[in-house]
Amino acid sequence: MSLKVDNLRITYRTLRGDVKAVDGVSFSVSDGEIMGLAGESGCGKSTLGNSLVFLEGRMRHLGGRAELDGRELPIADTRAMNEYRMRQVSLIPQYAMSALNPTRKFGKMAAELLKSRGVRFATVEEELRRRLGLVGLADNVLNLYPFELSGGMRQRATMVLSTILNPSLLIADEVTSALDVSTQRAVGEMLMEFRERGFVKSMIVITHDMSILAQIADSILVMYAGKLAEKAGSDTVVNNPLHPYTQLLLASLPEVGVRYDTSALVGIPGRPPSLLHPPAGCRFRARCPFAFEKCTEDPPFMELQPGHQVACWKAMKDAGLDIGPAVPPAAAVGEEASR
Amino acid sequence: MSANPGPARAAGSSTPAPVATGSPGEELDELPSAAPAPQGPGERLEKGALAGAQAAPVAPTPTLAAGAPAVRLGRQRWEFLHYALRNRKLVFGFSVELVFVLAAIFGPLAAPYSSAGDSSSAGVPLKDQCAAFFCASGMTTHPSAHHLLGMTYFGGDVLSIMLYSLRETYLVGFLGALFAGIIGLALGFTAGWRGGWLDDILQLFTNVVITMPALVLLIVIGAYVKIHSPLFEGIFIGATSWPWVARAVRAQTFTLRERDFVDLARLSGKGGVSIVLKDIAPNMASYLFLVFILLFSSSMLLSVSYDFLGLGPTNVVSLGDMMNSAMLWSALNLKAWWWFIPPGAAMALIVFGLLISNIGLDEVFNPKLRES
Repeated sequence: MSLKVDNLRITYRTLRGDVKAVDGVSFSVSDGEIMGLAGESGCGKSTLGNSLVFLEGRMRHLGGRAELDGRELPIADTRAMNEYRMRQVSLIPQYAMSALNPTRKFGKMAAELLKSRGVRFATVEEELRRRLGLVGLADNVLNLYPFELSGGMRQRATMVLSTILNPSLLIADEVTSALDVSTQRAVGEMLMEFRERGFVKSMIVITHDMSILAQIADSILVMYAGKLAEKAGSDTVVNNPLHPYTQLLLASLPEVGVRYDTSALVGIPGRPPSLLHPPAGCRFRARCPFAFEKCTEDPPFMELQPGHQVACWKAMKDAGLDIGPAVPPAAAVGEEASR
Repeated sequence: MSANPGPARAAGSSTPAPVATGSPGEELDELPSAAPAPQGPGERLEKGALAGAQAAPVAPTPTLAAGAPAVRLGRQRWEFLHYALRNRKLVFGFSVELVFVLAAIFGPLAAPYSSAGDSSSAGVPLKDQCAAFFCASGMTTHPSAHHLLGMTYFGGDVLSIMLYSLRETYLVGFLGALFAGIIGLALGFTAGWRGGWLDDILQLFTNVVITMPALVLLIVIGAYVKIHSPLFEGIFIGATSWPWVARAVRAQTFTLRERDFVDLARLSGKGGVSIVLKDIAPNMASYLFLVFILLFSSSMLLSVSYDFLGLGPTNVVSLGDMMNSAMLWSALNLKAWWWFIPPGAAMALIVFGLLISNIGLDEVFNPKLRES
């Protein structure tokens, strides 16, 4: 059991109140697993990934814990986290292409970064050169300024640097979103290669792109509005999703070989709820075609089939579980109004 | 009086300049950089996964390999020098400054006469001054072969006094710029990096100092404190002229701290001081360099004006002092122009040279301003 996250709650402080970006999230990633974390913009997936490495000033850790290889990550304590950063848990940022200091040669910047982690550059230099060669960068990139590298080269350099200390967990935040399709595939395969070579043990790949996850991820976790919707092996999620949100999300993807000039591509009507004051009950309720009375209650994240967890009353009912009586609508309305 | 370039110049010169960035002669440069990539393109892609995928990105690397970096870097530095030497403003300004700095450093050694005993009123007891005046009355002489810039009332050789004065004026200017730079950078970086309530407090403090009339403050301090050395004057000038530096640096830090590479450094656990010094400051190095030059010239102007008003150091001679004694002893009425024109012209030339080289440097640092 590599990573175990238990009821994690992260909010953003804003002038209008706390935005509950990650609201009671529990999941685990096993050794050697590449877990895809999918969801639409603003659903809290990047916040979840970032919070495991660095809590920004506006982010607050309200509760819950994260355990990596049996040791608890002190995610609320920026200073204590330093011991874990890059060595245990590392992050490839969303902006990997512009993550290099324009006034420093890449090698110099890497040396400074490693020094701040208490690692002498000389001890890892050879390995760094070897890995740069592995991703197709001649080792003289160490002597080049970022503006002398192409965007793709900068991204690969950042990826190699993030994983140079062989972290147990790597969080890749939208690493493919700014790339064209063929490069996306290359980056995805590079991530898999990193795992095979043991540069990283397990990985969380954050993206909104289900197709890249279908290619590289072992399992997929779908988030909606700060909560978990569904987690299962990637084949199961892609071919047999149980949560209505996942189903609609996949249905809205264009299919290869199908022309959409006669029939419009289906989207999900409506918009995700504001996380400033999220509604009670299932957060997808307002947009869900299957919503019924029970959905005014918060659905638990339940394992319905081995390795397949879903937070949906309908899925539970379909699976033959006794979900109990629905809360009388009047009570639910009253509860909502009081918020 | 204080030449205030303000943030307007920041916009043009904030781009990383080759000279500021190319400086690292650090550990990495010593590595065998010219070694070609250990693996050939074929071997490099042992695992099929990377092979096809990397084909396109690999392409540019061969041209960069093997010995290329030295050539590229060499050309960069050469390019900077090329533009620096071709810029006539910069060459002119630096030449003027070089002449005066050399004169200030070596001049006193070569001065034909000493300045201490027989110079202007500075440092000489009043009794002796009067004695000198009476015995040497009417001794002011035109420039001649013996006294290239003529003589003062007291038989002092104007050229010699000026050579000593240059040194003091440069010293005070340098000290003032140094202190103003240190205070301004420290407060600007702190306010910009930390933000929040600390920024509010520092901004309040900055605004208070901006509104303080330095001259009046100096008169008040002078009434109580009896220390009048170049060091004190330098500190005083530094302590009153840092606010616009702090403001400009704060604003630049605000924009730079949101950049992605700073974010990466932060989430890698790099310390705040290290991020400011190594990730943020180098990105405004050219601006900071220009700021120092402007502070230097404004500090010298301030010191000359304080000295001219008689508020400066009392135990040394400076350009301001020379003009002060020239005025006190009616050099203007007596048409002894050689007593006050040379120090005034020197001062004007020094500041003019600095400002011109500042404009020139701006053009060199900022590719958009370069004449093609």
